[in-house]
Amino acid sequence: MKPINFYNVFILLAVFFAGTGFAQSNKILIVNSEKTVFRYEKIATEFKKVLQQNAYSWTEFNLDDHANADADLKQLVQQENPALIYCIGTQAYSLARNVAPNKKLLFSAAINWRRLDVGVGTYGIANELSSAQEMSLLHYFFPTIKTIGLLYSDKFSREYVETIKKDALNSGINIINKSINDAQEISEVLNDLLPQIDMFWIISDPVVLSNKESVRQIFQAAQQQNKPVYAYSDVYIEQGAVLAISADIATIGRQSAGLAMMVDQGKVPAGTVQSPAGSTVTLNKCALDALKLQFNQDALDSVNKIVGCEQ
Amino acid sequence: MKRNWPIFFIFSVFIAGGDWSAHSDVRPTYYFYNTETNINNFASLKMGFDIYLVNHGGYFLQPFDLRENFEAVIHEKKGDIYLLSSWHLKELQRKKVPLEIALVGTSKGNTTQRKVLSAKKDIVNFAMLKNTVVAAAGSDEYVHSVLKQILGKEQEALLKDIKILIVPKDIDAVMAVGFGMATAAISAESGLDKLAMMNPNQFKELHSLGFSEKDYLLIAATLKKPDQQETQLLEVLRKMSEEEAGEANLKMLGIDGWRAVQ
Repeated sequence: MKPINFYNVFILLAVFFAGTGFAQSNKILIVNSEKTVFRYEKIATEFKKVLQQNAYSWTEFNLDDHANADADLKQLVQQENPALIYCIGTQAYSLARNVAPNKKLLFSAAINWRRLDVGVGTYGIANELSSAQEMSLLHYFFPTIKTIGLLYSDKFSREYVETIKKDALNSGINIINKSINDAQEISEVLNDLLPQIDMFWIISDPVVLSNKESVRQIFQAAQQQNKPVYAYSDVYIEQGAVLAISADIATIGRQSAGLAMMVDQGKVPAGTVQSPAGSTVTLNKCALDALKLQFNQDALDSVNKIVGCEQ
Repeated sequence: MKRNWPIFFIFSVFIAGGDWSAHSDVRPTYYFYNTETNINNFASLKMGFDIYLVNHGGYFLQPFDLRENFEAVIHEKKGDIYLLSSWHLKELQRKKVPLEIALVGTSKGNTTQRKVLSAKKDIVNFAMLKNTVVAAAGSDEYVHSVLKQILGKEQEALLKDIKILIVPKDIDAVMAVGFGMATAAISAESGLDKLAMMNPNQFKELHSLGFSEKDYLLIAATLKKPDQQETQLLEVLRKMSEEEAGEANLKMLGIDGWRAVQ
């Protein structure tokens, strides 16, 4: 009987495990900026559900559990040697990028990801829907709206507004945009803008939304001129926005897991950052009725929350 | 001010609705769970239905986000009306749960729908879906079942190599293809109609790779031949589309009316 050549067996095993990606090496490290934040925890939960369904395993590191997070994370990365680190929130990403610059990183829930220090091995799910997604949904709910106005600051949102304008053309919508340098200009610019438009769009611009007063001015002016307001977040529904569309949190978690597995299989180009695939829609029926604004009733099955006057 | 009392009453019931078994044995109720969507609109749905129902028999709607809880109601309650998908009904009937169709939902005159697997035109066959992401709305089990049916016996083996991305609703699924988050989408045919309206350019880029069999839209079912109370509940449901507020509620369910099965 021929003796077993253990050396050959060892090489075969090594080749087998090296070729099967990190599903075999077992390690996805989840770094959560703050587990007590509902949004982050929901994302983590959905992420883990998908990993479990696909027989992947993971290790978790919550920043709020560690007084010396830098050192502890560094040690954990060395100890576990994860093939990918999933970072939930900007803080988690910044830390992971710092302590493990050569690891593959996947981020989500990072506000304005374009400002992150993104490397070659970084992947992500954006926190905000793309303007094209928002525009498509907006057009679906209000097919008769043809002209939308918005305020922005050139310093922070010029590129975003250019994208919005391009996307709007595909939906047959005309965008009238006015740039401001200071929130004190809002009233005057709105007086000129509102008569020219069918709807006002609040974008996430730090100059336009620099304080509560500027938000109040926008809604007051829009109300005086009977113009509906669309917003990127449902926090503006209470102030009178007719519609708010944002990314669905649970989907971000599931989508991140899918992307992580695709990275494992080498099916995703390096540096891929996707827009969120799921949306959450809030419709303010009370504001719509007050404005006598018609909307596509068939779209009601796509609404997560309808706000009435009694709420 | 006139509406304050009923609303207060509805809210108190909604809060109690967290423990449905506490009240479900005394108040005639429609129980709702849909395997074909993940849209978490239960608060608005309950509010809309209950406000309407205050003046139409004083009945209630109890939506569920967990299939097990909904099925527990069916097993324990033995009465009232159950609103569920046709696929779910068949699953329960297979387990010998004696649910019978009383009404079927309609949408633009149709009582049935097909699910369609759509992708960009460079994806020309099922085999090209290997190691890709397919977006769909609905429960995991439902989506796998529909995809398996669409792929057919010959391509069934592909299932294990396709990653399903569960999204809240049909329009998210079809848009995910256009915006590059998924290679294909499973949606109702009406989902593609919606895309045509939202984003005609994206719609033109898609084509259909396969279809499921036709199935009923939402179903209203009973556990036995409807008694007098259940007949009244069904009648209220059937007439909902005759009033604006009632129709708006039905639209939230993705239908615009009800029809008795011939």
